[in-house]
Amino acid sequence: MLAEIESIESGALAELAAASDPDTLESWRQAYIGPKGRLKGLMPRLKDVPPADKPAVGQRLNALKSTLESAFDSRKAVLGAGAAAASGPMIDLSEPGLLRSETVARRHIITRVRDELVDVFARMGFQVADGPELEDDEHNFIKLNIPPNHPAREPIDNFYVDDPRTTTRPRMLRSQTSTVQIRTMERMIAERSGPPIKIVSPGRVYRPDTVDATHSFMFHQIEGLYIDRGVTMQDLKSTLLHFARAYFGPNADVRLRPSFFPFTEPSAEFDMKIRLRPEQPERWMELGGCGMVDPAVLQACGIDSEQWTGFAFGFGIERLAMGKYGIPDIRLLYQNDIRFLNQV
Amino acid sequence: MNISLQWLNRYLSEPVAASEAEEILTHVGFPLESSTETERGDWLMDVEVTSNRGDCLSHLGVAREIAAKTGRTLVMPSAPPPKRAGRVGEFLALANETPDACPRFTAQVIRNVKVGPSPAWIRDALEAVGQRSISNIVDVTNFVTLELGNPCHVFDLDKLDGRALRVRYARKGEPLKTLDGKQRTLVETDLVVADATRAQSLAGVIGGADSEVSASTVNVVLEMATWDPATIRRAARRLGIRTDAGYRFERGVHPATLDDAARRAGELIVQVAGGELAEGILSEGRPVPKLQIVELRPSRCAAIIGHAIPAGDIIAMLRRLDIDISQRDEDTLVCEIPAWRIDLEREIDLIEEVARIRGLDTIEVSERLPIAIRPPQATERATRELTGVLTGMGFYEAVTFTFVTPAQAAPFAGPGVGLVKVDDERRGADGTLRPSVLPGLLLCRRANRMAQVEQPGGVRLFEISATFGQDSKGESLEARRLGLLLDAPLSGKRATHDDRQTAVRMARGAVEAVVLAMAGPRARVSIEPKQTGVPAWESGASGTVWMETDKGRRAIGTLGLMSKQTLDLFELEHPVGCAELEIEPLLAAYPGGSAIEPLPAFPSIERDLSLVVAENVPWARFEALLARISKEREMALLESSRFVGVYRGEQAGKGKKSVTLRMRFRAADRTLRHEEVDPQVARVIAEAKSELNAELRA
Repeated sequence: MLAEIESIESGALAELAAASDPDTLESWRQAYIGPKGRLKGLMPRLKDVPPADKPAVGQRLNALKSTLESAFDSRKAVLGAGAAAASGPMIDLSEPGLLRSETVARRHIITRVRDELVDVFARMGFQVADGPELEDDEHNFIKLNIPPNHPAREPIDNFYVDDPRTTTRPRMLRSQTSTVQIRTMERMIAERSGPPIKIVSPGRVYRPDTVDATHSFMFHQIEGLYIDRGVTMQDLKSTLLHFARAYFGPNADVRLRPSFFPFTEPSAEFDMKIRLRPEQPERWMELGGCGMVDPAVLQACGIDSEQWTGFAFGFGIERLAMGKYGIPDIRLLYQNDIRFLNQV
Repeated sequence: MNISLQWLNRYLSEPVAASEAEEILTHVGFPLESSTETERGDWLMDVEVTSNRGDCLSHLGVAREIAAKTGRTLVMPSAPPPKRAGRVGEFLALANETPDACPRFTAQVIRNVKVGPSPAWIRDALEAVGQRSISNIVDVTNFVTLELGNPCHVFDLDKLDGRALRVRYARKGEPLKTLDGKQRTLVETDLVVADATRAQSLAGVIGGADSEVSASTVNVVLEMATWDPATIRRAARRLGIRTDAGYRFERGVHPATLDDAARRAGELIVQVAGGELAEGILSEGRPVPKLQIVELRPSRCAAIIGHAIPAGDIIAMLRRLDIDISQRDEDTLVCEIPAWRIDLEREIDLIEEVARIRGLDTIEVSERLPIAIRPPQATERATRELTGVLTGMGFYEAVTFTFVTPAQAAPFAGPGVGLVKVDDERRGADGTLRPSVLPGLLLCRRANRMAQVEQPGGVRLFEISATFGQDSKGESLEARRLGLLLDAPLSGKRATHDDRQTAVRMARGAVEAVVLAMAGPRARVSIEPKQTGVPAWESGASGTVWMETDKGRRAIGTLGLMSKQTLDLFELEHPVGCAELEIEPLLAAYPGGSAIEPLPAFPSIERDLSLVVAENVPWARFEALLARISKEREMALLESSRFVGVYRGEQAGKGKKSVTLRMRFRAADRTLRHEEVDPQVARVIAEAKSELNAELRA
């Protein structure tokens, strides 16, 4: 009788797995665990089992009952998830695709501005490079010459995934796209495909700023990096100027002001004299940071800083997009209200 | 850093005007946050000082920058020689138990002072930068901090138990009442200056109330010290105390600057409060490090800046910053760095000084750029093509946040994918990094619903963005994905089965369009209707998306309807069709090549067939059947066949549906006659009967 129980169990479970609609499920219930089901039919036969085997068979019978009942309940729950649907016809995923549209939509202004910027830099020979957003402190800090104990690494100013006080290489959301510079330099050295290296890296960055009209904890940056023999600050300033003219118009101008960043030396802030919108006068706008790549950063990536020099620059995309398109509040950019998306 | 213009001009051989100071400081790297004229005819300037330049958190430091840039002479402050009596060691014992955290601690003793109000010049100076005058002795410590950038502290000598000072770590739970009147409980990593028994100040951050200078104070100890920046920052952060002293020590104060600052402070105390300065300075800590020597090559300077600058000019510029220089040979300048410039350690640091003092505005720009032309990047072009296709189909591009709540993330995590979240204190409830783009789009769909946005044909959204997860070993599973969402069409108040089926077909249509745009006209999409293992999708109405190209077949994502629970979770009333695809294989397939065949020379014949089958017979069975028999020689005229539609209702019968398909017959060499295709149509009907149990619809 034990063998029979085994075969009923395997058969029943297989049928149950195949039951894909409430009707089949119900007929399965009646066939196996209903008042006239096979399980009920087995019960009277227990009295014919030799007394020595009775406990074992009885136990097995009970086990079968509870197995089938719980299997039925879970299958019912699965099918029930689409209870309304299951009672009707099935969704046929193999029916061919359908195109039916009443509107032509728009791309988001952030990605459009990103593309505008990338286009200008591409003409100057910069290629787009990508990197992960979930980084580690080695790429976000150490190789960017931001040593342990540096105030920029405080947990309060960063989105750590692992506790930096107890983890050796804590993961974190990148706070700057400079991480892509490090990854690209490492990769190109490993592949022996550079320097020269000439990249721009646009992307999302994360800092726990309090959200207001001009700040967000997630925003977009674009950074440029050019490493070659004989690259100088003159090249940096010239590149920024040519970018400004190409993007903002022939009258645009650029000025550098000394500043400090751990990963560049000399470091500077750069301002551009631009007319953001046709109705506005030309004015100086603080745009971003730049500088000559710090020799410590080059060395950390395996590049001989005596042979190769380079510059880097970076700025925020939102601020530029907001200025250029007259967007009053950064939060509009992430709400994605279609009425707003249609306005820019 | 608040700077008073009048105070600043004390240290300049020739005063600067406010506008000139602003101009100069901006050019040397210290832009002004604000500059306001005060009632007394002074100017209060809020100077931005970068974190590497602690030396400029002082009026003398800022004056030095102006002097260096303009050629003015820096006038060092001085006080009359103080009255002296006794030796410092007779009055105070000093011990430094933590030279790692306190590289140098110095103490002087001034006896018989008279505590009272400050003279006007000190009071005015402090008030000009927004500080309150307290008493002559306390004011001197604040004045020296803001003059030289060396924070200092005075203790009432007679209140120090054992007439001793001891630099040590705090005991666990040790109490300290600080000068702001608050009772603090210290931990073992806090550094204190204690007397023989108790902590008397939180080192480098704030003094203690018990040994505070008061009106009755007669003898004082003047502390001038320097501390390990990390230790100071840790204590200040932990206790939430921000002071001028802590701010400066966090940026580093060189031990060699202490002697001049201590001398200046001691002399000033005697000048304003009388009394006698004991001979000598007690000093405990490590040996004072020698001044840094850095070599600078003018050739390297040219290689970085882009202009050759004569060695003589470099020497002159750096000397104005009090850097002592000798020229060893034509291309080697040996520079001795003054103690306060802890940021100058390497040649490149000095090159920055040259660039800065010379002026970045003197760097010339070239009218032409040398450029190595590189091929356009396929991924960039592919992305634009792809997004263009989607917007053309009415999908708006959204940019949504990476963070969601654990509840919003969990249904989207597939088997074996662990969720990743950031440190709780930063984002609170929504600190989980989304495992899928779709929660972002669903939130965005909800926001548009809440805002009562009406869109003809329904709201459609897409986003290309990183998604996050980790495997069982904690390895990151970050991947960029394309997510898309569309409203099911509503034929009535609530979505019918047909509406839901249409939503799936529209999602599929979008995916097919995207795949064809990327992988070219030979690419094919198929959906495998199996459990995705991701509970967010409606089981039975979602499946795996396969892309088939010349390079092979691979799964690239999921497509279908969101489950009822998902809709409830995101508070959506009506069904949405979604798809989420890996973006890398799509971009990698671009450009997709071509499938050129000669266009037909003769007209074709179309035949529609409506076949009634059981509800559970999917279109895929018809496709398979047609594909199979179209290979037979007698079916050679069948050029193509396609799905037209499904009809349900009385005519089809309960549990049945009528599927209409359209077949196109053509011969390459002649115009077909109708009779020629009749047997072929009959063959399809016969096959459908036997294989699908289909009946021709009446």
